[in-house]
Amino acid sequence: MATHFAALIIVIPLIAALFVPVIGWWKKGLCYPWVVAVLLVPLISSIGVLNRVIESGPFSYYLGGWAPPWGIEYAIDYLNAFVLVIISVISLIVSIYSKKSVEKEIPEKVVPFYTLFLLLVTGLLGIVVTGDLFNVFVFLEIASLSCYALIAIGRDGAPLATFRYIIMGTIGASFYLLGVGYLYIITGSLNMLDVARLLPELYHSRVVLTAGIFMIVGIGLKMALYPLHAWAPNAYADAPSTVSGLIAPLMTKVAAYMMIRVMFTVFKPVFFIEVIPVTSILTWMAAVAIIIGSIYAIAQTDLKKMLSYSVVAQIGYIALGIGLANKSGLTGAVLHILNEAFTKGCVFLVAGAIVYKMGACNINEFKDLYRKMPFTMSAFLIGAFSMVGIPPTCGFFSKIYLIMGAISADKWIFVAVLLFSSVLNVVYFFRVIQIATFETPMPDYGRDKAYEAVYMDEVPLSMLIPIQIMAAGILLSGIFSSKIISTVIQFVIPVGF
Amino acid sequence: MLEYIISKYNFWVYVILLLIGLYAMVGKKNLVKKLIGMNIFQSAVILFYVSIGVKKGGATVPIFLGNAHAAHGHGHAIIDVASYINPLPHVLMLTAIVVSIATTGVALAVLILIFRRYKTLELDEIMKIRKETGV
Amino acid sequence: MKVIAIAIILLTGGLLIYGVEDMPGWGDPDSPASSHVSPKYIKEALGKTATPNMVTAVLGDYRGYDTMGETAVIFTAGIGCILMLRKKRKGEGD
Repeated sequence: MATHFAALIIVIPLIAALFVPVIGWWKKGLCYPWVVAVLLVPLISSIGVLNRVIESGPFSYYLGGWAPPWGIEYAIDYLNAFVLVIISVISLIVSIYSKKSVEKEIPEKVVPFYTLFLLLVTGLLGIVVTGDLFNVFVFLEIASLSCYALIAIGRDGAPLATFRYIIMGTIGASFYLLGVGYLYIITGSLNMLDVARLLPELYHSRVVLTAGIFMIVGIGLKMALYPLHAWAPNAYADAPSTVSGLIAPLMTKVAAYMMIRVMFTVFKPVFFIEVIPVTSILTWMAAVAIIIGSIYAIAQTDLKKMLSYSVVAQIGYIALGIGLANKSGLTGAVLHILNEAFTKGCVFLVAGAIVYKMGACNINEFKDLYRKMPFTMSAFLIGAFSMVGIPPTCGFFSKIYLIMGAISADKWIFVAVLLFSSVLNVVYFFRVIQIATFETPMPDYGRDKAYEAVYMDEVPLSMLIPIQIMAAGILLSGIFSSKIISTVIQFVIPVGF
Repeated sequence: MLEYIISKYNFWVYVILLLIGLYAMVGKKNLVKKLIGMNIFQSAVILFYVSIGVKKGGATVPIFLGNAHAAHGHGHAIIDVASYINPLPHVLMLTAIVVSIATTGVALAVLILIFRRYKTLELDEIMKIRKETGV
Repeated sequence: MKVIAIAIILLTGGLLIYGVEDMPGWGDPDSPASSHVSPKYIKEALGKTATPNMVTAVLGDYRGYDTMGETAVIFTAGIGCILMLRKKRKGEGD
């Protein structure tokens, strides 16, 4: 049984997705409990997989019993297992949250919504679990297609944002596929570990160089890395709340995982550092992304749009960690994937809760929100703390590692960028908190009437509890960050760093 | 020289096709033209893969032509690798074709949504409408 | 817009052509693509899967997991179109 945990991660949600239309045709209300129950399976199996990796090291699973490189294998190591657990935890929490929000925003489309929800999770898990370059493309397309459809049913500008996303996403996926083709023509293999074994002798070849660049650019497009980010803010902001709660924490982070995988497993780090200077270009792009993303976020008046630009900025942190290509930098990047998943999940779910109560999320209308929704807004406060980097939230620790990475790479400019971005984060998050907390209507002495009393008006528990779990996740992953690093993340770092 | 051209022209042709598609995707203002560009772009990638599979020197389609029952069991000794082309790129491209069709389908559905909302598929006109209505 | 598009395609095209230079010749039977993984498919497909068509053998058996993903892609696209385009008919309750 334990050996097949890895396969269950994909198979169960995929088969369950096929059954959602059947169940929905029978009884519409059963879709939600079905999806929540099904998502427990990948959670349990991925925790099982992570346990097995911690106990006995990386292992592989041959699908259909065909040995690699002829068949497809799951090659599971610390990084895979870690990201798998993140994805299954976040998707389970968001699925619990989805009920009321979906009933309110898209009531007549519940059944196909939940089908695609499961398919999206399947796609994301499939990208992470597999050890085959072409298989990544297939699951990337499952995730992307369900993502397109889910975004398109959002608020007013959503279809146009989706079309842009389709064009850019297809260019990204096709560039990745081209890169895989170039690797295939020169090595004759599609298995990641096999390609990694064959490549070092071929580093001088122009084919390998082109393949590397195209794969990185393609993944960069999917990851919304500056200057390839143009599709992301609108797509994330216009999607239905539940969908942005799922894709904003996960979609770009899975792409970040792909980037780490391609740069440090398929290619050896030495290729991107010495043969072509991708890492140094990456760090500069990341630095610009951090600054530009934060500045655009300050300029927004719509909460979801602001958070979407913040995604672009935070992806910059991860790319910076990858680009620094040293031990602390990469530790910071992997820890930041965890941190971002919880933080962005938390703040986007809060945005969804505000949309649920107020119908929109214009920041200037947030007066007295703290008194109306104290629990929701406290979770938002924790999210904001993590974004700024205040201990004991996880954001503090990942930032510390990134700064240490920049120092040990002797790149002081990035230390300055990281610190400056914290200031910018303070500006755009505390503006929201300031309006929501302190800006009460001035007592109007000219009138006899007492000014309107504010009553507590919280969202339903099925939304509130997931938000609180996310907030708790931010705190717990911060408090236990040293344990997470010592049991998992330190083994992610490739040898030679 | 001629030999060099013969050994490379297939890849050059795919690059040209790919660039036509990419130009349409990035440079055209009409959304349907962008979508058609996307199709050309994906076809170019498919053609590239298929041309990896080619094997010169009398290789034929990868279907075993002899008596299948006789060969079954002790098959490997008889089959000559040089006489069949590489089956793997074709397998991959069967998958990629399906993916490209699926993407086109979803993109067309999105175009229908856009048309319902703005009554046009020209990007500049849509932007004008968005500016006027403030959305 | 046009200028950016032309710059992008020149960059992409230049890089791709640059990569083509070092590729094994078109149809070279000794290229890595034809000599590393694929010979085993050609030799063994008939014996192991009892399928004379090697493409079918690889598609359905050796890389059957990819094919499962492929069918899932079609399913996703179909459900996606239903999600985006279906309008509630008049008189339909619930």
